Amino acid sequence: MKYHLVVLGCQMNMSDSERVKSVIESMGFTHTDNEDEASLLGVLSCSVRQKPIDKVYNRIHVWNRQKNKRNIITFVSGCVLPDDREKFLKLFDFVFPMSELGEFPQMLREYGVASPLSLSQDRESTHNVEDVLSEVETKSKKQSLLNPLTKYSASKPVLPNNKDIFQLWNVKPQYQSEFEAYVPIQNGCDKFCSFCAVPYTRGREVSRPSAEIIDEVVQLMKNGYKSITLLGQNVNSYGLDRDEELSFAELLTEIGKAGDSLQNPSWVYFTSPHPRDMSRDVIEAIAKYPVLAKQIHLPLQSGDDKVLIKMNRKHNLDRYRESVADIRELIPQATLFTDIIVGFTGETEEQFMNTLQCFDEFQYNMAYIAMYSPRPGAQSYRWEDDIPQATKKDRLKRLSEKLEEISAAYNHRLLGKELQVLIRSTERKTGFLSGHTEGKLVTRIKSKDQSLIGKFVKVKITESADLSIAGELVTVLKDKRIPVSAD
Amino acid sequence: MSETYYHNMHKVLQVQHLTEHTFVVQFERKEMPFIPGQHLVVGKKGDKEFRQYSIYSGLNDPHFEILVREVETGLVTPKLKQLKPGDELEINGPMGYFTVSEQRCLNHPIVMIATGTGIAPFNSWVKSFPDMNYKMIHGVRKAEEAYGIDRYKKDRFVLCTSQEKSGNFNGRVTDYLQKAYFPSNTLFYLCGNSEMIFDAMELLKDKGLNTNQMFAEVYF
Ligand SMILES: Cc1cc2nc3c(=O)[nH]c(=O)nc-3n(C[C@H](O)[C@H](O)[C@H](O)COP(=O)(O)OP(=O)(O)OC[C@H]3O[C@@H](n4cnc5c(N)ncnc54)[C@H](O)[C@@H]3O)c2cc1C
Ligand code: SF4
Repeated sequence: MKYHLVVLGCQMNMSDSERVKSVIESMGFTHTDNEDEASLLGVLSCSVRQKPIDKVYNRIHVWNRQKNKRNIITFVSGCVLPDDREKFLKLFDFVFPMSELGEFPQMLREYGVASPLSLSQDRESTHNVEDVLSEVETKSKKQSLLNPLTKYSASKPVLPNNKDIFQLWNVKPQYQSEFEAYVPIQNGCDKFCSFCAVPYTRGREVSRPSAEIIDEVVQLMKNGYKSITLLGQNVNSYGLDRDEELSFAELLTEIGKAGDSLQNPSWVYFTSPHPRDMSRDVIEAIAKYPVLAKQIHLPLQSGDDKVLIKMNRKHNLDRYRESVADIRELIPQATLFTDIIVGFTGETEEQFMNTLQCFDEFQYNMAYIAMYSPRPGAQSYRWEDDIPQATKKDRLKRLSEKLEEISAAYNHRLLGKELQVLIRSTERKTGFLSGHTEGKLVTRIKSKDQSLIGKFVKVKITESADLSIAGELVTVLKDKRIPVSAD
Repeated sequence: MSETYYHNMHKVLQVQHLTEHTFVVQFERKEMPFIPGQHLVVGKKGDKEFRQYSIYSGLNDPHFEILVREVETGLVTPKLKQLKPGDELEINGPMGYFTVSEQRCLNHPIVMIATGTGIAPFNSWVKSFPDMNYKMIHGVRKAEEAYGIDRYKKDRFVLCTSQEKSGNFNGRVTDYLQKAYFPSNTLFYLCGNSEMIFDAMELLKDKGLNTNQMFAEVYF
């Protein structure tokens, strides 16, 4: 029997989907890209913007119409706001937070689906849900599964409770790529930026046990994964919620040591950090260990202290400046990425200009710039969205042009250099492969050799553009790193 | 922080109406630890709307208190205003970083600046650390909004009233700040509406003080 999964939103959902797939497949379902042939249909939802939410409603209405004709079961998980959850409960057969993934087989069983065969006339599958449960359930959860109804009772709190998230992390993921992997290290957020609904959809900050993380990362390195990203809403708050846990810097150090002992076969990234917790010891660890990639994503959001206060970002420009100074001092070859929101409630032209000046000051290689739009569930949703759309567009354009100017100058300085590149895909333009450097600079090379996908290669840079570089293949690296050269 | 994640239903014990629009909700604490200055995410049981409220009570109080000003057009505060003893609240937290360390209190003069219910976290600090060396500047429209004024030492408390002459200072908080002198190593904690916070920060910067000495909790 087949299942189909729609994954919306960020890398966190992508990573979670690898675990969702594991659980569903261990029940005997097989994946299909064609939803018409699936009996189990699910969505990992995203509440960050209205568009993905509209997509969820769109899909479920289509699926529910098909229910008269065929035997299907639907579920939704991921980032769901309390308001949407109420509505989803009426539309989907199952609505559960990601932290309860391990209980999904049990939920299905209670629903009368003992195995995929129960959804089908044909009898090709031999899987048994008892085996599935014993595979998926963790020791700690077996107890609560004995009486699941208590968990789904009407008095269940509306805001997500993250304490069961460990269950999700115990599920062995089914990585979607053979050379790139995401490793969740932390879930939830306690920062409550006024423009963001994540603290209401993902719940409180919870850190995954470091031993599990290190284990998963080491296994990935041993299995030849080239790019490993430690994932969380607030990765550098790692450990703050637990008394006896490593700090983020200590976790990086342990991964760094593991990398050393395996001759640094991979690039290990992390996203997203919060400037408030970007301590010098985190940057020292990145500087010290070759396996820790020299690329840092440090969301600024605004270059104006007053806007930062109104955004409830809990850092000011001076604090941010200190972190960038530490990065430039300790890891001069690092590339710097950021996130920006333009046109936040009340943002004046002068305040926007402060953001623009920050681009000159911090010399970003890449910036993900968004025009502000009130997000349901966030604090600022109730504030007046008083910056006209045309002004937002204009600010987006000016900031993008500034980024391109800075990035183009940086990329130009790379001409003639030989850089290590991870080849990731074929380019739309035939005859080109696309990848990225350790600093995540998009790099194209002229080659049709698809066998290079997933490999480290050495590239001589011959062309530079605003936001990318291109070059000639020098050599294929046999799963070994060349010494880090400045991007 | 401990390894326990609090996410509970708490029974309302009492609702005390201080003015027509401001009230204190007292509810079960259930021995939840917190750091004075932190806030809770609060909603009526079963409701889908939640808001953040600074903890108003002190560390040694057996119950929790929040100080709430009703926004008449608001989604949550009118419902909180109707609460009765025995009603249940869904509480998430405690969380937040608007806290003050002993080290800071020992080494620096502390000035707390609040408008309206922005006094809530400072009340928790003062109740929890009675020996704290502080100066509190509270901006309100009328003296009736000087919530819990008896709790603060008279020589440490300045009530700025903007709409009547009943306070220690007649005018806005910012008018007071303009005239006041602060030692250069003072730490400033500001809480309440963002406009006041921005104006106060500008004024303090004009006096040669650094933004690194200023910490803010914005309510709206
Ligand atoms: C960290 C933090 C701690 C807070 N602590 C407290 C507290 O201790 N006591 C307290 O009364 N409030 C506090 N607030 C504000 C509180 O979370 C709510 O925003 C407020 O109670 C309004 O909720 P509402 O649902 O009734 O209004 P909403 O439906 O959210 O409408 C808010 C609208 O009213 C406007 N508004 C006018 N007056 C206010 C006001 N006083 N507060 C908020 N918005 C206002 C806003 O600009 C906005 O447009 C805190 C906020 C934060 C971020
Ligand atoms: S840090 Fe801010 S933007 Fe990031 S998830 Fe938390 S609340 Fe959202």
